[in-house]
Amino acid sequence: MPMAFGIALAVSGLLLGLGIIGFAIRAVSDGFGAHGPWGYYAAIFSFIFMVTGAAPLAASIFRVTKSHWRRPLTRVSEMFSLIGIFNILLFIPLMFVLPAFRNPNLTPLAENELDLRRTIWFEVPIGANAPQWLDLLGIACLALCALVILWLSAVPDMAQARLRATGFRRSFYGVLAGHWHGTKSQWLNQKAGLALLGAFYFMLLVFMQFTISSDYAQSLIPGWKDSIFPVIYTLTGFQSSLGLMLVILFVLRRWGGYKGYIGISLFWSASKILLGLTLLWVYHMFAFGITYWYGRLEVEQNILKYLLFQSYGWLFLANLIFSFFLPFLTLLWNPVRRSDWGPALAGVFVLIGAFLFSWRIFVGAFNAGDVYNIGLEHVPAFVGPDLWDVLIVLGGLGGAVFIYLLGSRLIPMMCVWEIKEGAMYQHMGTFMRGRYLVLAKPE
Amino acid sequence: MQEGRVLPAKEINRDLLRSILTTPNWYWVTVAVMAIIVLGAMSAAGLMINRGMGMTGLNRPVMWGFFIVNFVFWIGISHAGVMLSAILRLSKAEWRRPATRAAEVLTVFSLMTAVMMPLIHTGRPWRLVYWVYTLPFVPYDFARGIWPNIRSPLVWDPSAIFTYLTSSILFVMVALIPDMAVLRDRTTGIRHQAYALMAMGWQGTPRQWKLQIISGILLSALILPVFVSVHSIVSWDFGMAVAVKSWHSTIFAPYFVVGAVHSGVSAVVFVMILLRWIYGWENYIRHEHIDALGRLLIVVATGWFYFFVMEVIFGFYGREADEIAVREFQFTQPPWNLWFIFFTGLTYFLPVSLWLFKWTRRNLWIMSIACISVNIGMWLERFLIIVPGLAQKQMFTFTWYTYAPSAVEITIIGGTFAMVTLLMLLFSKVLPLIPLYDIKEGDMLKTEIKIGRATVPAVFRED
Repeated sequence: MPMAFGIALAVSGLLLGLGIIGFAIRAVSDGFGAHGPWGYYAAIFSFIFMVTGAAPLAASIFRVTKSHWRRPLTRVSEMFSLIGIFNILLFIPLMFVLPAFRNPNLTPLAENELDLRRTIWFEVPIGANAPQWLDLLGIACLALCALVILWLSAVPDMAQARLRATGFRRSFYGVLAGHWHGTKSQWLNQKAGLALLGAFYFMLLVFMQFTISSDYAQSLIPGWKDSIFPVIYTLTGFQSSLGLMLVILFVLRRWGGYKGYIGISLFWSASKILLGLTLLWVYHMFAFGITYWYGRLEVEQNILKYLLFQSYGWLFLANLIFSFFLPFLTLLWNPVRRSDWGPALAGVFVLIGAFLFSWRIFVGAFNAGDVYNIGLEHVPAFVGPDLWDVLIVLGGLGGAVFIYLLGSRLIPMMCVWEIKEGAMYQHMGTFMRGRYLVLAKPE
Repeated sequence: MQEGRVLPAKEINRDLLRSILTTPNWYWVTVAVMAIIVLGAMSAAGLMINRGMGMTGLNRPVMWGFFIVNFVFWIGISHAGVMLSAILRLSKAEWRRPATRAAEVLTVFSLMTAVMMPLIHTGRPWRLVYWVYTLPFVPYDFARGIWPNIRSPLVWDPSAIFTYLTSSILFVMVALIPDMAVLRDRTTGIRHQAYALMAMGWQGTPRQWKLQIISGILLSALILPVFVSVHSIVSWDFGMAVAVKSWHSTIFAPYFVVGAVHSGVSAVVFVMILLRWIYGWENYIRHEHIDALGRLLIVVATGWFYFFVMEVIFGFYGREADEIAVREFQFTQPPWNLWFIFFTGLTYFLPVSLWLFKWTRRNLWIMSIACISVNIGMWLERFLIIVPGLAQKQMFTFTWYTYAPSAVEITIIGGTFAMVTLLMLLFSKVLPLIPLYDIKEGDMLKTEIKIGRATVPAVFRED
């Protein structure tokens, strides 16, 4: 084990421990009765779920679109499946803090109150806590599906590894590789399985991002009726997960000894997609902002003031700079896109942007006041973190990194069979007077 | 996936210029029929302008009907050009080559048709000048105290549409230059002079090719924001109106853009199938191209369906009585509920279920049915967004009203379809609908690669 890896593992483990302490103190001091104190907890859950939930999708999508440059990226992407379990654990406390469907303080003649909190679950008779359980079920299914994708993708590599490993690892790989012998039918089944599971994962992920963003953000701000918000949340997830993968690939290329496998073409191609996602992000934000701003309805103006211009105005500005301006100005230039550092730098920017987005939205939503009001009557103040919030946030980040690092000790970071397949499909050839890539198109 | 053989340049020229250099019998018959329909529509529009808007089915509170539905529809169709040409060019999709020109030309003609609809809808088109600007020499009736609202999205519309129209024409023209030179060298007399003028001295030197390629890439990148802005702004004609409950939705802009791409690409696929059939371009518009477009359409259609679901869910989410009333009107009251079922079935469920299988994507009849189905569905979508919202705009039920189009409106709408067909036919007589140089370039980049014992098709790519 390299020393840097050991240090990273120890630091992330330590942060996880601090996070657990922060969580325990928050639970003891505030309990689960009110949702306000759990804003930062929800924000870090949202950030980790958003980024790591969307990450395994990259492998599936680029496999379906037959993008050859994806090959070094697939395993880096699929490894995020392991964090799905952490997401489930992080979500459980949030189940208890979500305000009830029905207004507990409702009196028959109460003014400016709804009998029910606005929710995407409407008035279906599913019980007071049903959305929380449905959310948990969805997150668990998502994690399970991602793990199956990881396993299915890694089976050929594990079969290879079982021949070379010894001791515990040998039996571990042996069990997971099952009866894989690389027959034609096994390959066909594996590829069909990956495509089908990828499509299912995509649909489930988009649905879960819709439910989480609605249940734990939009429904907590009275009067916030915004059909584009789930789309923005999903886009932020796609953008930040691709950014994180580019950062990891940069680290692996520079210091992980994978320079021969992770080519510049990967950064070049992925950065164009990141640029596209960045533009889509700002377009959707603009569509939201202008519709609310132009409408001049008081309830919408208050929401704009709260989330965009006043209370969380500085956070929104920072969010805009990191999610749009900096990555856009970085990725605009072809020579920068064609480097390894440029896309990775843009990746760091969008990750910071996604964190600020979760902070702004979820802390804002958890502290917006009476959720049963028809609209925001006034603009609530910004809520800053206390020490326990800081520990919780650090612990969440540390926990995710810790699990990913542990996973990388057991599963190869490069998808060996895909890299081999890619090597067969492409070589350099002469065209006119230049040397160009010759790319096979077998299907 | 390369199914066609590599064709010699001479054969490509002969095949693709056939529509220009020879005239089949059916051509003038079709042109005449389309021209008659267009003339009929123009007469109907003239009659309507002469007699007044009472000739239409419009009445309070439904003051936007078939004309505006048709305007949004044709703006939507115009989105095919950029989607197929610019995006696929930037992403280096090889299968784009036979589709780009038809898509770009369809963009231009459908935009021109779309622009006419609000003009006709005004009833007195000459007064449109007041929407756009007020100049000292324009005899504006200031005494009435009615001022043009320059902050209205209705003013943003013409700016976006004319920018898009200008850039689309430029886009088509730049891509046409090498083909004009080919035509210049194969024609005589006045046609030769006209093509020579439009070819602008093209000799095919390396410098000219380099400039042409760079300008194509730059225009592709620059036209993308314009493309997105056009339908976004069209959507904001509705989205900014807080008085119509079902319209004030933040998702309208991307929902409209994706819907436009959905209908536009479907229209292009249908046009390609028609071209293959009428001009015998089987070697150029191959099953693999239609198959690839079918797969692209699954993604676009599913994206559109996602936005549609979001729009509907958040319509109910607010639990505002007047919005729920509109939704109930759309979903439960005949004939709107029937239209709604048709719309979702024709736009998503029928076509996507047909596109899911390779054999259906490669059957041109099935693909034609699926693509026509999408466009009927998308037309209905716009109708179901505009009319029920306006019909229930007022608070009081006694002011609710449903709309039925008049014969004049139906004739004018029919005329727009004939007009686009007519313009496409006339274009095909003058310029090639499949870019010659693009097909030749694609053929040059084709090669083969040996994997184990198999030889598979391959392409040269920039690393």
